[in-house]
Amino acid sequence: MAERRFSFFTRGQCIVLALLAATPLLDLAFPSIQLSGPMRTVVVYAILALGLNVVVGWTGLLNLGIAAFMAIGAYAFGILTAEVYPFQVGFWWALLLSGAIGAFAGWLLGAPTLRLRGDYLAIVTLGFGEIVQDGLKNLQAITKGTEGINPLPKPTVPFGAAIQSGLESVGLVSAPTAVGAAATSAAATSAAEGVVAASSNWFEISSATPARWFYLYLILLAVVIFFCRNLEFSRLGRQWFAVREDELAARCMAIEPDKAKLKAFAAGAALAAIAGALFASHLASTGEPANYDFQVSILALCIVIVGGIGSITGVVLGAIVMVGLSNVVLPALTQAMQRAGIGSTENVLSSPDNYKYLIFGLALVLMMRFRPDGIVHTRKAVKK
Amino acid sequence: MRFGGLTAVKDVSVEVKSGSITAVIGPNGAGKTTLFNAITGVYEPTEGRVLVAGRDPQRAWTPRVMFGVGATALSTAIFLAVLVRVETLWQSAIIDNYVFQQPFPWMKAIADFFSTFFGGGFFGTWLPLLVGALLGGAGRFVIWSRTRRTPDVIASAGVARTFQNIRLFPELSLVENVVVGMDRRLSTGFLGALFALPSALRERGKARQDALGLLKFVGLADRAETAAANLPYGHQRRLEIARALASKPAVILLDEPAAGMNPTETVDLMRLIRAIREAGTTVVLIEHHMRVVMGISDRIHVLQYGEKIAEGTPEEIRNDPRCIEAYLGKEELG
Repeated sequence: MAERRFSFFTRGQCIVLALLAATPLLDLAFPSIQLSGPMRTVVVYAILALGLNVVVGWTGLLNLGIAAFMAIGAYAFGILTAEVYPFQVGFWWALLLSGAIGAFAGWLLGAPTLRLRGDYLAIVTLGFGEIVQDGLKNLQAITKGTEGINPLPKPTVPFGAAIQSGLESVGLVSAPTAVGAAATSAAATSAAEGVVAASSNWFEISSATPARWFYLYLILLAVVIFFCRNLEFSRLGRQWFAVREDELAARCMAIEPDKAKLKAFAAGAALAAIAGALFASHLASTGEPANYDFQVSILALCIVIVGGIGSITGVVLGAIVMVGLSNVVLPALTQAMQRAGIGSTENVLSSPDNYKYLIFGLALVLMMRFRPDGIVHTRKAVKK
Repeated sequence: MRFGGLTAVKDVSVEVKSGSITAVIGPNGAGKTTLFNAITGVYEPTEGRVLVAGRDPQRAWTPRVMFGVGATALSTAIFLAVLVRVETLWQSAIIDNYVFQQPFPWMKAIADFFSTFFGGGFFGTWLPLLVGALLGGAGRFVIWSRTRRTPDVIASAGVARTFQNIRLFPELSLVENVVVGMDRRLSTGFLGALFALPSALRERGKARQDALGLLKFVGLADRAETAAANLPYGHQRRLEIARALASKPAVILLDEPAAGMNPTETVDLMRLIRAIREAGTTVVLIEHHMRVVMGISDRIHVLQYGEKIAEGTPEEIRNDPRCIEAYLGKEELG
């Protein structure tokens, strides 16, 4: 914590955000690949890993069940929005409520268990992950079991229609031809209503506009980074660090480690739940409960470790590298090879997609050997 | 203070005058650090009490604690009772009332929920409620009773300490270490931190300035941004003192502050301890360096085998035959 004035993002955070913001440009360059859709999962996993980073990186608690909170967020979002349930709240309210429900779940799990030390807590979180997954599978009446809840709504841009009509009325954007030019403000409102239906609305998000959808998710990631960064340099962040470094010493400084840990757990769970809600909206379905299994928790942990434990920039970079590899690069490579006739769907070995865990394992081993603090490390250099 | 059958410290009573420097000395294993640990809540004393300004710092059984136990009992009870029949409740309140794409009758759903909730009979409703209430209430009560005298409670009452085997936050910078020590005086909450509200930023800036001031006081201001682990041993001890002082304690307990220091550093340390006292903080220290003890203490307590064998001014202790015996052994007669 060098002398810092208030700024929204550090340089590293700006760089990773810019890196992500540039990916839709690749779509323009290579129209055959279409990265914007799969890149949304990178953002989702970045948010998930930032949540895990609060717990593992900052507070030093090993949480092996972060996917459970992602599942809770996804299913909360599904139940709150899908038409087969009576609630049917909008995207943004559902997102916020999923986060709150996730935080509550984290608090519920943490309150009785956070007094456990190290490995024991890891086992509890591991078990919690399995329980949530099994619970979702078996509560047929509520969660539709393995079917998953669908269809789920796409995100909407808040005040998108109003902004659009405002832009039209000052002549920056040409209104859709069907409605005609809007001269007076009364005409502008009616134009706005027409615009929602028209596809030329700049602020409408659909699967036909993957870049807009991706940018909306990216803005959410930026907001999450902003909040994480605020927490990192706040009193609460310092309490977390102190508890991680030496719990007894922190206690003797009048810090209550249990409360600090509980807050970390709830904050991490809330972020994971928000990631889950975004994931469900991205798929337009919660998918089956097995989408949120132990492998997801481990992937999130790998992102944190490879990226740089405790560093926001590092974690986002880790998500770009790991999820970018498994969800974007390898599938694209597989497709390209199949199109070129090199790989076939029959031969398992010829598809690069099937090598992802091999590559993950190799990456972890190499990182542990050559750069154990991750790609970006924040911790102050401690001479050994 | 007993550990199983071993009595580590027995019937030791130390009275410390406000604004004085008191030393606790004794041979290795006499129970000095155990005494400190019992005072600061690291150990739960098996007998005896600690009074700070006439009051026993403990989490009392206040209405707030009582309310907490009650609220936990109630919410655990409801949670458990809902959990065991969650599908039935969902069926009666949601599925039975919702016709696809029709308006949802909220009031009827709520009424149905409650009638199903309380209509579960003994095993469906009342047993889960009872078990939940007992579990939740007992859990919260046990947590309260076990954390009545934890170090954070003692520290909040204004008793700060340092450790014999230095316990800094090694990967945090010097300033951050000191700001952590300041925690009990800060008030930023979760929302203030999350949104970086102006009040939180102002408090952070002020805490930093205060911390730099304290680092200057102990003579470490020039290395404020390095990691604590990179400091040489003697400096680490001074950083620990700065961290303990950051909470503006009424009493500061120093556990062997001069251990591992060279003679010049020791002289600096004595000056520092006197300055702490001048600033109005009462000092209690454990020390083996007799030069430090005799040089700065107003009063000395001598422990041996967990019992207090003498108490007095440095002059009296220097001439007390039992103390000489404890330290140097008995002269063989004949």
